[in-house]
Amino acid sequence: MNTESAMPFEYNQVHFEEVKKQQRKKVFLKGLLFLLPSLLLFSIFIFYPMIRTVYLSFFLTNQAGITTVFVGMQNYIDIFTSPIFMKSLTSTFLFVLFTVPGTIIVSLFLAVIANEKIKGIGFFRMIFSSTMGVSVAAASVFWLFLFHPSIGFFNKILVTFGFDKIGWLTNPEWALASVSLSTVWMNIGFTFLIILGGLQSIDSHLYESANIDGAGFLYKLRRITIPMLSPTLFFVVTVSIINAFQTFGQIDMLTKGGPSNETNLIVYSIYREAFVNYQYGTASAQAVVLFIIILIMTVIQFKLGERKVHYQ
Amino acid sequence: MIKKFFALIMASLLVILAGCGSNQTSSTEKGSTSEKDDKQVVTFWHSMSGVPQETLNSIVEEYNSSQDKVQVNAEFQGTYEESLPKFHSVGGTKDAPTMIQVQEIGSMSMINSGNIEAIQKFIDAENYDMSGLEENIINYYKVDDKFYSMPFNSSTPVMYYNKDAFKKAGLDPEKAPETFEEVEEAGKKIVKSNDQMKGFALQAYGWLFEELLANQGGLLLNNDNGRTDTPTAVEFDNEKGKSIFEWAKRMTDAGTFANYGTNSDNMLSGFLAGDVAMFLQSSASSRDVIDNAPFEVGVAFLPHPEAEERQGVAIGGASLWMSSGKEEAEQNAAWEFMKYLQTPAVQAKWHVGTGYFAINPAAYDEQVVKDAYKEMPQLQVSVQQLQATKPSFATQGALMDMIPAERKIIETALETVYNGGDVDEAFNSAVEQVNAAIEQSNAARGK
Repeated sequence: MNTESAMPFEYNQVHFEEVKKQQRKKVFLKGLLFLLPSLLLFSIFIFYPMIRTVYLSFFLTNQAGITTVFVGMQNYIDIFTSPIFMKSLTSTFLFVLFTVPGTIIVSLFLAVIANEKIKGIGFFRMIFSSTMGVSVAAASVFWLFLFHPSIGFFNKILVTFGFDKIGWLTNPEWALASVSLSTVWMNIGFTFLIILGGLQSIDSHLYESANIDGAGFLYKLRRITIPMLSPTLFFVVTVSIINAFQTFGQIDMLTKGGPSNETNLIVYSIYREAFVNYQYGTASAQAVVLFIIILIMTVIQFKLGERKVHYQ
Repeated sequence: MIKKFFALIMASLLVILAGCGSNQTSSTEKGSTSEKDDKQVVTFWHSMSGVPQETLNSIVEEYNSSQDKVQVNAEFQGTYEESLPKFHSVGGTKDAPTMIQVQEIGSMSMINSGNIEAIQKFIDAENYDMSGLEENIINYYKVDDKFYSMPFNSSTPVMYYNKDAFKKAGLDPEKAPETFEEVEEAGKKIVKSNDQMKGFALQAYGWLFEELLANQGGLLLNNDNGRTDTPTAVEFDNEKGKSIFEWAKRMTDAGTFANYGTNSDNMLSGFLAGDVAMFLQSSASSRDVIDNAPFEVGVAFLPHPEAEERQGVAIGGASLWMSSGKEEAEQNAAWEFMKYLQTPAVQAKWHVGTGYFAINPAAYDEQVVKDAYKEMPQLQVSVQQLQATKPSFATQGALMDMIPAERKIIETALETVYNGGDVDEAFNSAVEQVNAAIEQSNAARGK
């Protein structure tokens, strides 16, 4: 654009460009300097391990994780022809599908009702966000008792009402749903808190004007709350999806990937390959696949989601 | 501006360095104080939790107060599955423990790691007599005519059953079912007498599969269970291996089978709550089960198919390994502690306090054991079962570093059958997967 208007002053133009270039260089270096501390930390804790993982995925390793035989793409070919890994992928996607929308819908509902200004609301807000304070391990033990096949709370209730007992964690048809249910419960606290924060920052003038216009509750929810909340929701969705892909704790505690690999989510599968079977090569290949999946998912979200998000 | 920024960075780096430095000085200080006490510190990683942990801690305490040369620090490092990778990652460095307790199936992986000192060296140095130990234990832990580790806690799987439920079903509570078929029959009677109770539970656990196989004289891996050479394929792909799957299938179909998946805690609490009448579990849980059951508990030998003769069981449990690259004084101190652990008095206490059997048979003559047997005759069963075992490659147990992978595959296959899957399909796919795991494991070692 600039070039056309600056045509007659060609000499000046070149000079101007050069100065600009130098300035840009300076700004770049300055910026780099500001980034240096985080770049340093990232390289040590993220970039180096990542490169190392990619490197390991082309090898077979001994038990100490030292490479022994170069196999090229063989690890990748193996995992993609293995029915177990494919099942693990399917389970992971299903798990994401079960947990993310569930968590967000429940938390949104709780946040909307907890946003009302009534007496003692602080108590409810605390209760609703309390699962954030419960560690995954503690929550899993608690759910393990609920799911217990014979003396668990759920089966006791079923029996009282004359239904058959369900093998919550041992029946392949139920296991993934059961783990998802407990995960939704565990994630509600955090999601609730973020959404509530988002709700509180919505300008109250908007509601006041809507009230003057005589808008109903649902109308306000649809036309004011949700659009104004979209940046928060977008953040929560992204974080929840990444978290769901990286679920490990509750699997290890509740099912150990069973029954019949039904809940063998990808991170758990990586853990087993690396630290139980000592196949660091295969584990690294799986980790790389997981990285690519999360990367793609996040890029898609930003491309699709950002268009619909309304920033103030 | 930039200069200021640099100064800031340098300052913060300085603080970090200073922090590290002071840490180091404090740790050396700590080291020197312990030297002042003139005690040789031995770090001991173990994986005992619950009742066995309490017993082990009290043994270690007694040892520490019994003499003033060695201070043993027992550290719980998580389950066997968790502590072994930890050891592999610190093995050979100064963070490695002096000695570590490793599960029997970790033996090969420890030997291959190269970070251990075979205890044969210490045995030779003072001509220590190992022949006092239980013969079956010697058979298991002697690899290529050499002791790599010191046996410590050993158990065998046994069948626990609810005597009260047996009485109620019209079965003889003193005569436990011995074969697969008898277990099935008993299960049917129990379900008939009480529709709230299932007959039998088999935890989907690779170790139990291996033991049920050994009890029939079946080999898990070729090359004599890996005892004569590194295995190249499985050897359980026959009727013996399949019989276990078919047994579970028949009971599932008859509605007498309780499926607790891979979770042993659930199975145990199910048994204690009167939900299932019989289950298989390590004898190490004896004290736990007997002490906590509100009914009378029977303990019996591991069942076998009618068509096969009982061969006995392989040793389960763990042994103690010595780290290499430690100072001689430290290793010798650990060796002294290892020897202490297998004295009859300590083994008697260990046996009675946990249900692991005594690796030193002389312990059975100790008064503590005799008293305990009067009170809990069930504790004797695992000892009798081990002594009735016929020595063979099958009952010696399989040896290979990919056994953890094998177990997981078997567990998955068993669970498939528990949930109504086809036996042939599940079994064949398990065989295929284990073979692939063996191949990969051998390839990874570069052999």
